[in-house]
Amino acid sequence: MLSIVAAIGVLTAQAPGLAPGPSLTPRDSAFHALNRLAYGARPGEADSVAHVGVMRWIEQQLDANHIPDARLAARERNFKILDYDRADLAGRYRDAVRERQRMQREVGDSFPLSNRRGGQGVRSAPMREFRELGGELQQLALVRAALSERQLREVMVDFWTNHFNVFVGKGADRFLVPSYIEETIRPRALGRFEDLLIATARSPAMLFYLDNAQSVAPGSSRRFGRNEMPQERRRRQPTGINENYARELLELHTLGVDGGYTQQDVIEVTRIFTGWSIERPERGAGFVFHDWAHDRGTKHVFGMTFHDDGKDEGIRLLKFLAMQQATMHHVSAKLCARFVADEPPDGCIDAAVAAWQKSRGDIRAVLRAIFTSPDFWAPQAVRAKVKTPFEFVVSAVRAAGVEPDDTPRLAQMVARLGEPLYQQPAPTGYAETEAHWVNSGALLARMNAAMVIAKECSSIPTIDDHAQLVDQIDQLLMAGTMSAHTKTVILEQLTDTGDPQQAKTLAVGLALGGPDFQKQ
Amino acid sequence: MTVSRRVFVKAGGLALFSLGLDPLFLARAAYAANRPTVQPSNRPTLVCLFQRGAVDGLNMIVPHGEPAYYQERPRIAIPASDVVDVDGHFGLHPSLAPLKELWVNKSLAAIHAVGSPDATRSHFDAQDYMETGTPGVKRTADGWVNRYCQHDREHADTPFRAVGFGPQLPRILAGSAPSLAIDDLQAFGLRAPQDATRDRLTRAFEELYDGAGTGLLATSSREGFEAVQLLKRANPTQYVPASGAEYPPGRLGKTLLQIAQLIKADVGLEIAFADCSGWDTHVNQGSSEGQLSARLRELGLALAAFNKDLGERMSNIVVLTMSEFGRTIRENGNSGTDHGHATAMLALGGPVNGGRVLGRWPGLGVEQRFEGRDVAVTTDFRDLFGEILARHLGAIDLGAVFPGYVPDPARFLGAIRA
Repeated sequence: MLSIVAAIGVLTAQAPGLAPGPSLTPRDSAFHALNRLAYGARPGEADSVAHVGVMRWIEQQLDANHIPDARLAARERNFKILDYDRADLAGRYRDAVRERQRMQREVGDSFPLSNRRGGQGVRSAPMREFRELGGELQQLALVRAALSERQLREVMVDFWTNHFNVFVGKGADRFLVPSYIEETIRPRALGRFEDLLIATARSPAMLFYLDNAQSVAPGSSRRFGRNEMPQERRRRQPTGINENYARELLELHTLGVDGGYTQQDVIEVTRIFTGWSIERPERGAGFVFHDWAHDRGTKHVFGMTFHDDGKDEGIRLLKFLAMQQATMHHVSAKLCARFVADEPPDGCIDAAVAAWQKSRGDIRAVLRAIFTSPDFWAPQAVRAKVKTPFEFVVSAVRAAGVEPDDTPRLAQMVARLGEPLYQQPAPTGYAETEAHWVNSGALLARMNAAMVIAKECSSIPTIDDHAQLVDQIDQLLMAGTMSAHTKTVILEQLTDTGDPQQAKTLAVGLALGGPDFQKQ
Repeated sequence: MTVSRRVFVKAGGLALFSLGLDPLFLARAAYAANRPTVQPSNRPTLVCLFQRGAVDGLNMIVPHGEPAYYQERPRIAIPASDVVDVDGHFGLHPSLAPLKELWVNKSLAAIHAVGSPDATRSHFDAQDYMETGTPGVKRTADGWVNRYCQHDREHADTPFRAVGFGPQLPRILAGSAPSLAIDDLQAFGLRAPQDATRDRLTRAFEELYDGAGTGLLATSSREGFEAVQLLKRANPTQYVPASGAEYPPGRLGKTLLQIAQLIKADVGLEIAFADCSGWDTHVNQGSSEGQLSARLRELGLALAAFNKDLGERMSNIVVLTMSEFGRTIRENGNSGTDHGHATAMLALGGPVNGGRVLGRWPGLGVEQRFEGRDVAVTTDFRDLFGEILARHLGAIDLGAVFPGYVPDPARFLGAIRA
């Protein structure tokens, strides 16, 4: 691997135009890379990346741990949610629910009941605090995406969080998702796919979300402790297998819908994962393997045989799945849809699969193959993708030099644009394609969001001359890629705006809310 | 006219295909091309209200003729003397008394023992199934209302064809057909402190996107600005409900008022969707008075006001309530009810075959129950939704709206007048 890094370093030093297509200037190449590997360019960043050499910058991003990130680390300290572990959050949630029930019992009908979506819950202090932590969780994602110097890692955290989607609104996932993000996804975002797959399979958040926690071999029964009450024994005693996780594991996480597996395979995989469960919240809600719930029978799947090997059966299966051709293709195609084009060309997918095979699933090697593929740098790939709501808000905040605060304000903006973080109920995660995000209501909402962000813009100086102002916006916010039409329209709009402060806000808002900035 | 437009779309589509543009964009372009310039004010409209949290169907539409109902609910049953009787066996919760008149004039019906063929008692899963229209299948990406809009394009298409009232587009409306989420009708469009500033900003963005050429950004923005214009003409800030209709305070009343406004604005609204929350009554549910009573009172007053406000126009409108499942027949230790199976739904409007409780009543006897505890489902919710789509909105292909379900008019309950 060292030799690859060295080779690319040499290539960029000697012939900076080689990896990027011949039609892109070094600055355009840098801006393209910043749009895809990062959440857009901060003012002047396209020039600084071009100066370093775009391929060298990409290598630095792939080696995220060596990028200093002190400013973000300082900001992270403001987020209380990072001080609590899973058990703390479980306890707080339990207290909040109890307090709410107590209030309902006492106050009766003067309080509306809460429910899943958009309900006005009973406003007990512990529940309000717990909800505030949920807002923090979303805002933390936004602050990290906006401020981290390890941009590619943040992009990959978002990619994997979405690939291995868990819905924060489902029962225990209200308190399990924070540790899922911190302990399961983030440390492995640029690691090996196999490790990530195993970590998600063992994560309490996923075990609860896709119901594997209650999947037990038919006829199995739990041995109860001496001090457990009979009432507790009856409560929620699962009675059979639940195929949900096994199905999504094959269809979404690994092989893909056309991955060539059968319903019988789903059942066999389900049997392999019986017993993978979660400790009770009082004990920390961690992963636990229940021997009593595991199906000890023989399972045949994908040409392999599993027999009475406890938890290791599942580990063996996950390692196998992580290296299957169908998995490599499915996940590589998704990565290319994220980084290259909504309908990615075969070339970059094949390059990614080859790198996967050779590196045994090293995510950085797979990404490097995509970023060095001609498809990534092809002119038709540049500005070919529409930003998701999250990408739009974060890129606007970065371009405009807005310091995201600790309140959930910006996260709420992302939610209003249609992408509330961690709140996609379906295991598919959010879509990556333009057709999903662009509709009339959402576009109007983006224009409004742009005007709000423009009011706080600190990256553009107040300039009396309108032509100069628009040129500054083009250079600093869009690295000189603003279309002639956009420039003309903005200039026209400024004609009767005398106040330079107002002119600046209007011009920045139009630029951020206009069609050019929606693309990446 | 329609034929020539279609030919144009088809030919245009082929031309665009050769440029390598993606077919979903073509689908949206086709919606835009199919749009007629004049909206008929008599188009049928469906309003869906989702009672999130699982409403207790047994205390909403009370089977007061069943001794088991009173045996199982010593503290929370509605006394027979309080029930607004409708047929000697069933009656409305007393808080729904404002709807009695509509029952008598046969524009209100109840559907009992309706629900999902899937046995889940998880709010999350059951709401999902009811919105995607695919019980038991978690991966369905779009909602059934959106699929209806995808497959039935004979109807005029406008930016306001399918509207969800709330901050985010609900799952039931998600999908490739255009649909809008409107949190507040008065604030729809661009926000600015003064009208003049707002108009100017709107024009500026409109011009910016005019230059976006072709593609989804251009089509969608055009739809958006068209919607803003349509709504401006309708002037929602000046709205006064007709016939002295008074909507109750609270979110539901406000939402139904906005839906009434949008219907009367003749902007082509075909399906409106809104949430109505607070039905998860595990603790202190109450009886004739109490928590559930308060929620039902708001619902009854809001529906009655909506009906009064729309007057004659109700002849083309159906309001349908839905909820993910019902609640246990037996009350629990906290004077509440837990998650059950079948529930009851309400259908209101001129086209409704009202004045009756529809659906086969399974009874509350132990052997008649689902899993020994809950009201059994005798009507698959897709049979009810399907009938309303087909007979009220004129849907042609129910199989495409509800994948995996074989539609059969023989199973329709007769909720819509023939």
